[in-house]
Amino acid sequence: MEVHSNEGGHMIEVCGDVTPSVSVSKFCGEVKCGFSDSKDNSKDEQERVSSMRKLCIAVVLCVIFMGVEVVGGIKANSLAILTDAAHLLSDVAAFAISLFSLWASGWEANSRQSYGFFRIEILGALVSIQMIWLLAGILVYEAIMRLLHETGEVEGFLMFLVAAFGLVVNIIMAVLLGHDHGHSHGHGGHDHGHGHEHGHQHDHEHGHEHNHEHGHSHNHGHGHGEGDDVDHHEHEQPLIKTTTAKKKARNINVQGAYLHVLGDSIQSIGVMIGGGLIWWKPEWKIIDLICTLVFSVIVLGTTINMLRNILEVLMESTPREIDAGKLETGLCEMDEVVAVHELHIWAITVGKVLLACHVKIKSEANADMVLDKVIGYIRREYNISHVTIQIEREEK
Amino acid sequence: MDSAILTQKQDLESPRMLNGEFIFTGGGGDRRYAFSRQTSFRQSIEPHTPNDYSKPFLSRSASSIDIPPATVYSQDAAENLWREEAGFLAQEKGPVNKFSILLVVSSVFRILKSGNRLTKRLLMLIFLNVAYSTVELLIGLLSGHIGLVSDAFHLTFGCGILTFSLFAIVTSQKKPDRSYTYGYKRLEVLAAFTNALFLLFMCFSLAVEALHAFIQDESEHKHYLIVSAVTNLLVNIVGVWFFRNYTRINLVYRNAEDMNYHSVCLHVLADSIRSAGLILASWLLSLGVRNAEALCLGLVSVTVFMLVLPLFKATGGTLLQMAPSGIPSSALNKCYRQVISRDDVSEVSLPRFWELVPGYVVGSLTLQVKEGMDDRPVLQYVQGMYQDLGVQELTVQTDYTVNSHSLH
Repeated sequence: MEVHSNEGGHMIEVCGDVTPSVSVSKFCGEVKCGFSDSKDNSKDEQERVSSMRKLCIAVVLCVIFMGVEVVGGIKANSLAILTDAAHLLSDVAAFAISLFSLWASGWEANSRQSYGFFRIEILGALVSIQMIWLLAGILVYEAIMRLLHETGEVEGFLMFLVAAFGLVVNIIMAVLLGHDHGHSHGHGGHDHGHGHEHGHQHDHEHGHEHNHEHGHSHNHGHGHGEGDDVDHHEHEQPLIKTTTAKKKARNINVQGAYLHVLGDSIQSIGVMIGGGLIWWKPEWKIIDLICTLVFSVIVLGTTINMLRNILEVLMESTPREIDAGKLETGLCEMDEVVAVHELHIWAITVGKVLLACHVKIKSEANADMVLDKVIGYIRREYNISHVTIQIEREEK
Repeated sequence: MDSAILTQKQDLESPRMLNGEFIFTGGGGDRRYAFSRQTSFRQSIEPHTPNDYSKPFLSRSASSIDIPPATVYSQDAAENLWREEAGFLAQEKGPVNKFSILLVVSSVFRILKSGNRLTKRLLMLIFLNVAYSTVELLIGLLSGHIGLVSDAFHLTFGCGILTFSLFAIVTSQKKPDRSYTYGYKRLEVLAAFTNALFLLFMCFSLAVEALHAFIQDESEHKHYLIVSAVTNLLVNIVGVWFFRNYTRINLVYRNAEDMNYHSVCLHVLADSIRSAGLILASWLLSLGVRNAEALCLGLVSVTVFMLVLPLFKATGGTLLQMAPSGIPSSALNKCYRQVISRDDVSEVSLPRFWELVPGYVVGSLTLQVKEGMDDRPVLQYVQGMYQDLGVQELTVQTDYTVNSHSLH
């Protein structure tokens, strides 16, 4: 473990003996102290700043492209392009939420928020996932409406062009957001790889109806693509698997934005293929609805994992990587410990874990020493440093 | 009110509680405090420790800021039923995952048998909405009116949200288990938050629709929607009547279910306001008022936004683990000063309190006890004091030496 120097205190060396530290600053005289994770502060800060920068660039790019599409759409008087611009607007909203959450999580803790503002990013991710669900629902609804309306002509070529443009935009942003996380080489090849797979799997299924009313068969609902699941499931799966802050964990907000964009690019490829097909054979209209439904279901399926993680944090459940039973048994195996109860382990946000419990010790034991041992054990074995232990003596 | 001496394991029922009944606070009295069955829960003691631990020195006296005493799940028969049906769920790491159809049907029957009156009403409301939307969908498809179909979809989406609320109510009664050490009560707050969020989205979409109508200025396509709007309004008025006790804007939340029911009430209220707005818009249009639709939709959007915002802020605050709204910070500061003024305490640090659900406050605190003093009386004093204040669960770490152990 590395040793950082924090605001005036020394670090406890975790391996080996547990030496008490002289961190006078932790016991400030005021009522509330911040939830400062001294070990990870600098690393967190770095990660935050870089994530914010990336998202800022992504937002700016998105806005620029949206502007281009709006102008082009008004000039060409095509509703398709305008609705795609509206879709980019929803992307901007999602990025904005992520950005805000990132920024807010750096705020100082105060008396109303004694744990700091880290939870905001979880809530922000929840909001953007709900938006994804909402949009998927809206797209299904629109597809059904299009089917029922049965009006308008099909414009395969325009669809193709707009989808291609959207794909370029999305690829740029996917590369931007995903690029320094060690999977980058994988992802560079991702999108092309997906193009091929989709080509094989979907070329007979992607007929998209295109009419002027709704115009927009992009089905930009954030389909994350089967290829995703098939090939690189294990990359997308771990939301953040951190027991130590050292692992290159993707910030949950950047991950959300990245998934958003990647799914869009998959959809764009699908629509391009569909547009090409419609251009070539314009009679397959119901395929549109089927495709939309399929993609929406896929989107919802891929968000379920992230949603589950979010839910677990919000319900204050024990994080998955920590085995509460084992921890309890480990504690009880210590000599002086009689019992452990009211053990609560929960996470403020993914990666920041707290623990609170009551430990009952033999009445003749030295409470100080036991406290040291317990805290050291927990820190050593499970790497939880925000610990509150209430030592109780057994009543004789 | 009486004062009761509680240990953490006895399930005393306050005489104020009635099982499954909905209590009105006197005719013409303050209806702001919507009571319902107090189903706060207690901690499950880990199976491995002997059950002789108790804190006999803790007493809960009745004070005006007191939160009603935490008791066990008072519907134990229902609990056992749930347990038998879904024993395996208790070990799962997530209630969302394995939820079979059989479970759904059996839980529906369980609600009908033993649910809270409000829960039953919610179930009825959902059924009503589903039936109505199905009928509307069929009529729309058969007769070709697209507006009816779209309305049916909107209603179905709303039904989905209501079902999630119901699911939250049912699931939140499960006892805490190994991975959800605080139990499932938070799910209700989450459901309320989801509801509030959905309503905010609806506001936004209504505003966009108003803008759209303003720009496009088409005023002729709403006529056949009047009948559907009227029936929609009626259905939602029924819903509002069911949950009439929660129609206050600034409701005080006493327990988790309050938030959930409030969100359901707001949902049906918003729907009915929207239908009323549509009816008003078409009437104004028939009178020849220009831009009536945009005006009415805009008005509806603003109204719903104002209604939903307090709920959104409250649920968001609970989920963000803000300082508990039920306990004023002045009281907490007073406690802090009292503890620090004791002889044997030299420092108090890192006091953190948060609300699991409204009415259940959890906290943690670190003390530094002066050298050589016994920590037991301090511990009991601190615990007792905060218990009186309404903090149900407090973990106090006492350090002895100046070289601290904890780097919080």
